[in-house]
Amino acid sequence: MDPDLSHDQRLLLEATENLIRSSLSPEVVRSLVDGTGEFPSSARSAYWSRGAELGWFAFLAPEELGGGGVSGRGLCDAAVFAELRGRHLQPGCFVDTNVTVAALTREGTAGQRSEILPDLVAGASSAAWAMADPAGDWSGGAGLECLPAGGGYRLSGLKGLVVDAHLADWLLVTAEAPEGPTQFLLPSSAPGIAVEMLDGLDLTRSLCRIRFESVQAGLSAVVGTPGGAGPAIDAQLQTACVLGGAETVGAMQHLFDMSVRYSKDRIAFGRPIGSFQALKHQLADTSLAVETSHACLAGAARAVEAADEGAAEAASLAKSLIGDAAVEVAHKSWQLFGGISYTWEHDFHLYLRRLTADASLYGSPTWHRERVCRLAGV
Amino acid sequence: MSAAPDLESYRRQARDWLAANLEAKDPGKAADLRGGGRECAEDYRPERALQKRLHEAGYAGIDWPAEYGGQGLTAEHARVFAEEALHYRLPDLGHAGGTTYGPVGKTLVRHGSPAFLARHLPRILAGDELFVQLFSEPSAGSDMAGIMTRAERDGDAWVLTGSKIWTSGAHYADYGMCLARTDWDAPKHRGLTWFAVPMRARGVSIHPIREITGGAEFCQEFLDEVRVSADEVIGEVDQGWSVAQTMLLVERGAGRDDPVNMPAVEPHRIDPFLLRLAKAAGRDQDPVARQAIAKIHAAEWARAQIGIRVGGLMRTSGRPPGGIASYWKLSEGLRAPERARLLMEIGQGVPLAWDPGDEDGEHIVREYLNSRVWSIAGGSNEMQRNAIGEQVLGLPREPSFDKGRPFSEVLRSAREWTTQD
Repeated sequence: MDPDLSHDQRLLLEATENLIRSSLSPEVVRSLVDGTGEFPSSARSAYWSRGAELGWFAFLAPEELGGGGVSGRGLCDAAVFAELRGRHLQPGCFVDTNVTVAALTREGTAGQRSEILPDLVAGASSAAWAMADPAGDWSGGAGLECLPAGGGYRLSGLKGLVVDAHLADWLLVTAEAPEGPTQFLLPSSAPGIAVEMLDGLDLTRSLCRIRFESVQAGLSAVVGTPGGAGPAIDAQLQTACVLGGAETVGAMQHLFDMSVRYSKDRIAFGRPIGSFQALKHQLADTSLAVETSHACLAGAARAVEAADEGAAEAASLAKSLIGDAAVEVAHKSWQLFGGISYTWEHDFHLYLRRLTADASLYGSPTWHRERVCRLAGV
Repeated sequence: MSAAPDLESYRRQARDWLAANLEAKDPGKAADLRGGGRECAEDYRPERALQKRLHEAGYAGIDWPAEYGGQGLTAEHARVFAEEALHYRLPDLGHAGGTTYGPVGKTLVRHGSPAFLARHLPRILAGDELFVQLFSEPSAGSDMAGIMTRAERDGDAWVLTGSKIWTSGAHYADYGMCLARTDWDAPKHRGLTWFAVPMRARGVSIHPIREITGGAEFCQEFLDEVRVSADEVIGEVDQGWSVAQTMLLVERGAGRDDPVNMPAVEPHRIDPFLLRLAKAAGRDQDPVARQAIAKIHAAEWARAQIGIRVGGLMRTSGRPPGGIASYWKLSEGLRAPERARLLMEIGQGVPLAWDPGDEDGEHIVREYLNSRVWSIAGGSNEMQRNAIGEQVLGLPREPSFDKGRPFSEVLRSAREWTTQD
């Protein structure tokens, strides 16, 4: 957690913690994974709209809808929420809805801003960000063919790795039109769109594939200008890196805290195992990785918030460092927990799965490092 | 205390003085890496004279006590002066200067007696006395309280015998701040005392150590029945470990502004040297080399962020500052060797064989050979890991074999260790 959180940010945090504990607690998340529990859609809607009351989807919106958060730095405040959500392995399109809110705020048509945006901010609907192809290319139009048709466009192909898209009412879709990169805001129920839930590593979220079969998208669905979505895509990726990175850091911190506690409780050879330097030194390295991740997240959030000249690079650098750290922390904890880590019952594997998926979601460390080289002209 | 001048008028006054009295820094000149420093005491004469001018003008020891030759102003004033002086050539007193005005000076101010401070501090600030640390020993590195140098009382003096090592700048320093054992029957940490030993006293011999780079910045000293006046004891007799704690804290960065004030690395500007190196190796389009470039760049950027975080944790975490400072030290101790290895990876043949005078190859090799200095010196990575594990995470210590037992007995049983089954 940021050591310099303000009083207002701490209040937000506390309220979010209470909401999670009362509606989608770790016990409920676990029961959903085990298939023994339920989270009926009425409960889900209530959870989503109560989150919205706390500002979950408002901070990147126009000021009249609550933009700017409690500190005047909306992205930094939203990252506070994201971190706590990651800590408790919360499902749902939190990052993507915020990315979409920010996109509509900056680029949306008058219609999109007046018809769709207020509902997203109020938690009455949610959006998924269909950016990557199923293989994990996050550069924009990958996976989708986009041809002019009927005064608009016709979309065919596949998008993938879309977080909990089956819960989303709207899809922010990126495609490569003949004019260049173009974005559309489409209802997920539009004819020709099929959201497919796949099996996957992470058990707390579904990374969906979206099939587009000759989907007709009118000009009114375009976000921004046809062919001109490049800068918007770039801005969305930055937001996703910061909020996705914040979720990762929250999960990482929680797993690390669990492993420290375990190293004090578990006795072997007549001593708590955390007293052995072989493990103490691993924990110190892991702790440094966690602290470094917090530090880089904060640095990227500040740069993106301020739209610094190097904001895109800062976001990618942070995402690459946090992604590597996430897998490192997961594996060090794995080794520390020993045999117990191999049980389904222990929460370790939920975090291992989440952190490993997070490392590649919104671009893997390798992908972001190459992006930094390109952006910097190397 | 007299009213301190306000910061803005102080800044203007400092700016005027600097412009009128100091040379501008040559921006093209890179900082010396280890192995490229001055070797001879004579080289430091003009630098000492420059220090004296600084002192006479009231710009040395800005936040040191006024009664001992300092200016008695605030740390903010010192920072303002440092900001204004950034582009001027300040006295370069080498490693001994860094030690004197850093860990030694800050520790003396805290622990020296009034008479000791009155005698030494004004001369230190005037550049007349440079100090080095006589702390590590050939058999006391990470186990820093395992000091074997002995000091025995003889009338109004102490007599010191032993050996100290890894001293930077000993050959031109005036004093060594030396830790010696004064009670062998007390537990390890309790029988230690600090002395200010004149480096040119009879019985002190200084030997440069030829280093891994071929250069010689470190020395080993032998103390052979060196007589030191009892006035030169720093702090209380047998209480040297608490003085050492202050010094270690300063060294790890808790007492200086380093981590917090790291120069920001601009995320969109990759060090052109990396690209030049990759091009020289014909690898600027090679994905492996590009990954290595980005990894180095990411670590440099992260460094400034970690500094900010460490500063925040120091203020708010409620954990011991020494443990928090260890995050910074460990991070640096891991970053430097990783960076050097990545440079070797990018450069491939470039740092293996080069034309005489080709600076890139030589630069990389020097960086490679120096890359574990901060993983080992000033508390090794392993010591930092212990500090993080125990002081920050609250993990239990390893069982101790030397705690609470007379040091002489500890040494006896350690010698029997290998013969036990």
